[in-house]
Amino acid sequence: MYDIVNSLINVAFGWGWPGWVIALISHLAVTTLLFVIAPFQMLFLTYYERRAIARMQDRIGPNRVGPAGLFQPIADGVKMFTKEDIVPTAADKWVHFLAPCVVVAPTMLMFAVLPWGPGMVPADLNVGLLFFFAISSISAVGLMMAGLASSNKFALLGAMRAVAQMVSYEIPAVLSLLAVVMLTGTLSVVQLIEAQAGLFISSADVPGIPDLGLGWFIFTPVGFLAFIVFFIAALAEGERTPFDIPEADSEIVAGYMTEYSGMKFGLFYLAQYVLNFLLCAIAAVIFFGGWQGPGVGWLYDRAISPANPDGNWVFNVLAGFLGVFYLLAKTYAFFFVMVWVRGAFPRLRVDQLMDFGWKFLIPLTLVNIVSAAIWVALLRWGPEQGITFTQNWAPILRWGVAFVVTLAVNVAAYIALARIFAAAQAEQGRIDLDEYRDTLTATLR
Amino acid sequence: MTVKIERGQIVTVERGQRAARRIPGLGLLDGMAVVWKHWAGSFRKNQGFNDIHGVFTFEYPEERPKLPEAYRNMPILLYDEETGHELCTSCFQCERICPPQVIHMTQAKDPATGKPVPAVAEFVIEYDACMSCGFCAEVCPFDAIKMDHEFELSTSDHQKLTVFKEQLNRPISYYERIAPTMWAEVREGAMKKLQGNIKRRPDVIGMAPNLAEKIAARRRELEAAAAAAAAAAAPEAPAAAPAEGRKLTPEEKAAKLAAIKAANAAKKGGGATAPDTPATEAAPADEKAARLAAIRARNAAKQAGEAPAAAPAPEAAPADEKAARLAAIRAKNAAKKAAEGADGAPEATNVSAPEPAPAPPADGRPAPSGEAAGTGAAPADEKAARLAAIRAKNAAKKAAEGHDPEGS
Repeated sequence: MYDIVNSLINVAFGWGWPGWVIALISHLAVTTLLFVIAPFQMLFLTYYERRAIARMQDRIGPNRVGPAGLFQPIADGVKMFTKEDIVPTAADKWVHFLAPCVVVAPTMLMFAVLPWGPGMVPADLNVGLLFFFAISSISAVGLMMAGLASSNKFALLGAMRAVAQMVSYEIPAVLSLLAVVMLTGTLSVVQLIEAQAGLFISSADVPGIPDLGLGWFIFTPVGFLAFIVFFIAALAEGERTPFDIPEADSEIVAGYMTEYSGMKFGLFYLAQYVLNFLLCAIAAVIFFGGWQGPGVGWLYDRAISPANPDGNWVFNVLAGFLGVFYLLAKTYAFFFVMVWVRGAFPRLRVDQLMDFGWKFLIPLTLVNIVSAAIWVALLRWGPEQGITFTQNWAPILRWGVAFVVTLAVNVAAYIALARIFAAAQAEQGRIDLDEYRDTLTATLR
Repeated sequence: MTVKIERGQIVTVERGQRAARRIPGLGLLDGMAVVWKHWAGSFRKNQGFNDIHGVFTFEYPEERPKLPEAYRNMPILLYDEETGHELCTSCFQCERICPPQVIHMTQAKDPATGKPVPAVAEFVIEYDACMSCGFCAEVCPFDAIKMDHEFELSTSDHQKLTVFKEQLNRPISYYERIAPTMWAEVREGAMKKLQGNIKRRPDVIGMAPNLAEKIAARRRELEAAAAAAAAAAAPEAPAAAPAEGRKLTPEEKAAKLAAIKAANAAKKGGGATAPDTPATEAAPADEKAARLAAIRARNAAKQAGEAPAAAPAPEAAPADEKAARLAAIRAKNAAKKAAEGADGAPEATNVSAPEPAPAPPADGRPAPSGEAAGTGAAPADEKAARLAAIRAKNAAKKAAEGHDPEGS
């Protein structure tokens, strides 16, 4: 954006404005664009989810407002705006008011490091990934504020659950990303995407692989396991079924949102869907190459970019469109999977959720980090690091050995951990049953 | 898979693939596969009750499922479009059985005699409290009350849900359309019972209100036509008359029947009360005279036109006083016409009309009771009858004077 504004003002008009003005204008434009796009993503996702879940339940879903019901979310939005805003008398007014803002703000900030297409990132931070997840956990504060300020027991319960769940599932999510960060050696989201060029094998791992934009991490055993764990953690962080414990409507009304109405409730809703969109998008970026796809790299090579200043702007537009298309297609596909999971599985209990996160996912990601280390050792390290036996291997052989070894480690770890976990759960169930029987006999006696 | 044991078969359900069971967690994929199948199958319509995939939705306002015949929503009343008669006889069976007691009715009464008639005067169903149990339709011995298929009854006007006979009435053809086999089962018996009831219903009583007006209008039309025909030249009369005479619509027939009944009732009443009071004593004589006058007038007309020209006109005469007057006028007209039309006729009128005939006791079969012309003029209530008689006499007299002065 900086380049476009600069070329427009200083080259085309020749006004010679200073660099900081150009930067300000370009950042304002990008921010405005994102603030418009985010709510529309939320609107679309609500519609998308309702239609998809309806199909899974042999229904049609909203189909009355507008063509195929497309304007249904707008009608819902109008409803939200016209509803009365109720603040409970017992509530802490200021905290009650601030909570939705604190929940929504981080989701908007997370857009800052999300790359939409080649060269289309609002801010290319060298710690983009860290920024993304650090910011995302701020919303837990907002949830706690909402729960506490409402002075409602359901809201407080929901908030406690939400915070416990978010804190627990941050760990497997970040640990699974750590494996990917080890593979690439960078925290920059843009460089993560660039490392995923190639065709089923990343061209960063094996030079000379044709670049079809398909060298995604999902095609490596490390990346696959990391993706599974990350996606489960994302479900928990986005409070999606089967982890929608914080707002379990059949148990605690609506959790921390219980005492909110009108547009404040709408803001929580917005934050949740935007967060889901971002989690899907970041999953697509980290494991499925983001905007990478057949044709984007080829188009971007011919476009105007820092590496190629005398390209054609038409290729910029084409590469941008194709890249955004790929990213959104992947994002919506992940969101579909989220809906699919919602359609298939019932809600977990709190203790099941905690057990699953702490006793299964975290060990699994720890094993995955070991596999990632093996992968890095086999592919990148040489005699300087003390790995001498791979010195004379061809890159493709190195890759093959790394693939087989990490696959074996991951599969073995998964099966072992899953069995241990299942056995532990069964044992726990038996213990619970025994306790129950004891209490029952005690009362009967 | 089924396993056979001594007492029968046990169906066992395989949960997931074997491999999935050996590796914990893969069973989750089975659940997702089920959901996927439903999602993928939902792009076509569900085929039937055995089909567990596909969309079940009927997009209601645009797409309406065919309701089964036995579907029931709210009760309606049937009437026969051919005769215009309602099937209901107000037997009160439905009112009695109705669990929420929302059916109310009053039985029709013959205005002449005050006796109840097997027809319903007003019928009310409170749709707002009706529970659509269908007991009323089940219990109705005349198949007059049936359950409708119309279910879009929501309204902002609560009063509209108290439904009166006029809104309850539906032609039989409507019910036949929504429930053809159910109607075919009861059709014959219902129609037979209806015919029997029609015979016991005087005048327009028991007719569907929306048709009653039409029938009245048609009757007026017929009267006008008859009057016109009578006023027209005599040679034209025979041409018009038979045509008129043949066109006996069901309502006309009913009217005729009613007239006969009224006459009989009047006669009986007259006969019974004759010894009591002088007034009533005189009545049969006058009545007789009136009838005689009418017969004579008719005969005259017949002679004049050599056809039962006057017959259709008085046929339709109703039982009340107005009708009697009408009959008298008609008789007059007929007489006049007769006087105008033929020379031989006046003599007969001349001779017989002025002199009142001796009054035989009424228990004897009154000569023209079967004849439409005579009974048409015979009103149910005695005063009217007398009036009619006087008028007829006068008319006859006048006619006689006008055309044959020597006679009087």
